[in-house]
Amino acid sequence: MKEMSVRVYRFDPKEDQKPHFQTYLVQVNEGARVLNVLHAIHDEHDPTLSYRYCCGSGQCGSCAVRVNGEPVLACMEEAREGMTIEPLDLPVQKDLMVDMEPYLSEISALVPKDDFTMPTPAVVEDIKPFRSCIECLACVSACPALKVISFAGPTAMREDLRLALDPRDSEDRVTEAVKSGLFTCTSCQACWKVCPKNIQIPGKAIEKLRSLANKKGLTLPRHQEVAQLVRDTGRSVTRLGPTFLEQIDEVLEPYGPVRATVGFFVGCMYNQRLPQAAFDAMEVLRRNGIRVIIPKDQVCCGSPLLRTGQWDILDTLKRKNIDAFVSRNIDTVLTMCAGCGSTLKNDYKTPYRVIDINELLTKYVIEPPARLPLKATYHDPCHLLRGQGIRDQPRELITQVVDLVEMPAICCGSGGGVRSGIPEEAAALAERRREEIEKTGADIVVSSCPFCEFHIMEHTDRPVKNITTLLLDGYREKDRKKAEKPA
Amino acid sequence: MDCHVLVIGSGGAGVRAAIEASGYGETILVSKTIAGKGGCTTMAEGGYNAVLREQDSCEAHFDDTMKGGAYLNDPALVRLLVDEAPERMEDLLRWGAVFDVTDCCEVAQRPFGGQRFPRTCYAGDRTGHEMMLTLMDRLAATGTEVLQEVTIVHLFKDENTVAGALGIDRHGELLAIRSDRTVLATGGGTRIYDISTNSSSGTGDGYALGFRAGADLVDMEQVQFHPTGAVYPYDARGRLVTEAVRGEGGILKNALNERFMVKYDPERMELSTRDVVSRSIATEILEGRGTPHGGVYLDVTHLPRAQIESKLPVMLEQFLKFGVDIREEPMEVAPTAHHIMGGLRINSDGETTVPCLHACGEVAGGVHGANRLGGNALADTQVFGKRAGEAAGKAKKRVKRIHWEEIAAQEKRLSAFYDGRVLPTTVARSLQTAMWDGAGIFRTAKELAKTLDVINHLSSLPLKAAGYSNLEECCIVQNMLITASLVVKGALLRKESRGAHVRRDVTQAWDAQGSPYGHTWQSLKVSGIETEVKA
Repeated sequence: MKEMSVRVYRFDPKEDQKPHFQTYLVQVNEGARVLNVLHAIHDEHDPTLSYRYCCGSGQCGSCAVRVNGEPVLACMEEAREGMTIEPLDLPVQKDLMVDMEPYLSEISALVPKDDFTMPTPAVVEDIKPFRSCIECLACVSACPALKVISFAGPTAMREDLRLALDPRDSEDRVTEAVKSGLFTCTSCQACWKVCPKNIQIPGKAIEKLRSLANKKGLTLPRHQEVAQLVRDTGRSVTRLGPTFLEQIDEVLEPYGPVRATVGFFVGCMYNQRLPQAAFDAMEVLRRNGIRVIIPKDQVCCGSPLLRTGQWDILDTLKRKNIDAFVSRNIDTVLTMCAGCGSTLKNDYKTPYRVIDINELLTKYVIEPPARLPLKATYHDPCHLLRGQGIRDQPRELITQVVDLVEMPAICCGSGGGVRSGIPEEAAALAERRREEIEKTGADIVVSSCPFCEFHIMEHTDRPVKNITTLLLDGYREKDRKKAEKPA
Repeated sequence: MDCHVLVIGSGGAGVRAAIEASGYGETILVSKTIAGKGGCTTMAEGGYNAVLREQDSCEAHFDDTMKGGAYLNDPALVRLLVDEAPERMEDLLRWGAVFDVTDCCEVAQRPFGGQRFPRTCYAGDRTGHEMMLTLMDRLAATGTEVLQEVTIVHLFKDENTVAGALGIDRHGELLAIRSDRTVLATGGGTRIYDISTNSSSGTGDGYALGFRAGADLVDMEQVQFHPTGAVYPYDARGRLVTEAVRGEGGILKNALNERFMVKYDPERMELSTRDVVSRSIATEILEGRGTPHGGVYLDVTHLPRAQIESKLPVMLEQFLKFGVDIREEPMEVAPTAHHIMGGLRINSDGETTVPCLHACGEVAGGVHGANRLGGNALADTQVFGKRAGEAAGKAKKRVKRIHWEEIAAQEKRLSAFYDGRVLPTTVARSLQTAMWDGAGIFRTAKELAKTLDVINHLSSLPLKAAGYSNLEECCIVQNMLITASLVVKGALLRKESRGAHVRRDVTQAWDAQGSPYGHTWQSLKVSGIETEVKA
């Protein structure tokens, strides 16, 4: 047995004005799960604690709660000292019990056709991963879109795709999905990352449904415009002035000895809309011994088309981008756009290695910048944090220059084609970011994704900086101080 | 509330019954949990037995089931099970169930214990979950009213008939439902044991409700201990490790690395019937050849990784969560209380011995005899769920009354809990330990009598509800106590070893087929064991 202190959310609408947290000291066995802690509280401390559970083995989806903010199955998650246990982010009935019914009833049911067709093994293999869903609603709790707009939710989309693939179903699930919010998903991947069954809802269900919608001509007009732009110009956004690629040399030699050589994939946003951030990044690389090769024939990575289900010209884009680097014998391609990085890593089969700039800079241990007297908060780009699993590296870089105040990692609303397709949703999500930024009291916001930076800039009065710009600020301060010092 | 058919229970049998009954009249389904999530169907992993191939036959399925059940099964019920299981499988497929299929687009089948043909249909190792998803979809398309998280605490009687039920919701409010017909589909009750595969709802509610309403129960001593339950960490003890692991080729070894099944059943080895495999494992452990955690090894490391990943994904995931990669190292397993073969005595329409009360699924007895074959329970839920639902639905509407004295008596029963002294969880834990120690795999009259004393003592304690949310817990613990006493009394009545029931203090000169005994039966008034004169 071991002793453990935990904080638990308590709320009985019959008795309490508002929720509160109660701390309990419980005795549990070695290897105890969160559910065993709840049992211990219920059995030994307070029998009135309400929580749901049934199978105790991760199969029924009754017991999902949030532990330290993250949705988990109480029966499978190992209990940790000092943890905070809260209900899912859904309407609370009592203590840890939430109202699951409204969401469960949104999930579509198969309506059998009159004539029966047995699914083929290939169809069964396609459908099976989606059937392992236990409807625990962890994904619904984590979905940012659901908090600002009407949307059936991730797991309902999952089942819609399953039904769309199932030859026994008689309804038009693609149109149904579009009506129930298919295009509201920002592809932030939060649902997938909290799914106890690891169901890749955005990539495997939502994007697939969007591609089926595309075949039915249901792609949003704004998304169609983006696709046309890519077809016409090779870029997914229009230019504001001279682009990065037009202004930069094809090879950038570092100031000191060469420590590494990489190819640079700039991406549409940094090329056309925020070229200064890319120039700043080049400067930081040169100061740190990185030789950069920049093929001018690179094009859009295809992410905006992938996310919106417009897959017809993807192969052409992929081939161009692979050839551009392979023809220059580049074995490592650097990205600084989180979306491009995630796409090259997850949606391409590249013959070269892809590395994000945060990974590169922390790997090569950078020249220390000067500290600036600023308090910063960091916005985790979805395609960096969840798309590439990069969490610590940006923080390691930022804290070399400024103090960092954390805020919760939630989507800003710019991804998945939502900014162009459903601007009011994107604005509502950014507004929530603004509120979180305010709470931190930070002087500046730092991020590492052009979509996030561009979008958040429009919704906060604080300066929004790319991480490499912040590093460059630190270097410039260092140079200034050095120059000031009398020789 | 008023309805034609009231179904109590939301597992495979209950939902199947409601789907069928709703075609005939207003149907209410009451679920102690969120419907679709509770019960054991959703946790059932391995599969569903049905004769689907020409090389197989219903006669063979019948023989396997009777032999596996040590010939204690009701032959007429077994006949229905094997004959109708394929049709009920077709229903599921038509309604959208995603079973694994062969290259010829037939439902895939795997071998399971005690069967001469691989006739266990499956959806990976989450077969029951797949069925529940499908059944819930179908239920939603019917007019059935579902009462979520309402616990039935009493069956109303009108003259000698059952006239409805009294429930308690999550606010502690009482709910009286009047019905022409009532279907008990409350599942099993092996939560009365310390080590059990059952979900939180496996508390024997239906046995207790039926018993108190005057119904006959048969063979309650017949409790199946599944051979392979998890042994560690402590809190995960008893968690089901599906028979599909052995069906896919998993082998059992003791701490000396001996494939010990060769000693107990050299022909069928790991795929012997569950009673045999459980006793073999228990014997190995008792005789000191167990693993450090007190189990034996179940090994699939010789199987291709892809087979483990696609056929046993839930097992892989569960063990990984506890730090064991079953592709690389063996599991440790030991027997765990799994299924109660006994239950309410039913006829082919699921009618119990109390008029207007039906039963189906695990709460009913007679189908599986003294030992259930793996894969027959899921088939049972569908065959007898449909039968009970259909018979209840087709029954005539009638004038039925709920008597206010009964409600008053229940109100008194519940309010007494606020003045009680002992927490229900405390009583439950004592009961579970006593049952595991005294009424487990190996039994003697002396140990059983001692266990009965413990049950009687526990039943005399005044249960305490600290708040309204604890009222149902008190009722449920009372159900557990009644169920446990039925199991122990049945075990005392059956003075022979048969199937899953082993009496170490009895030496017998007969095998199962030559046994002079038939069912044990228990009701409020009488109990006994049938003695048959063999022709």
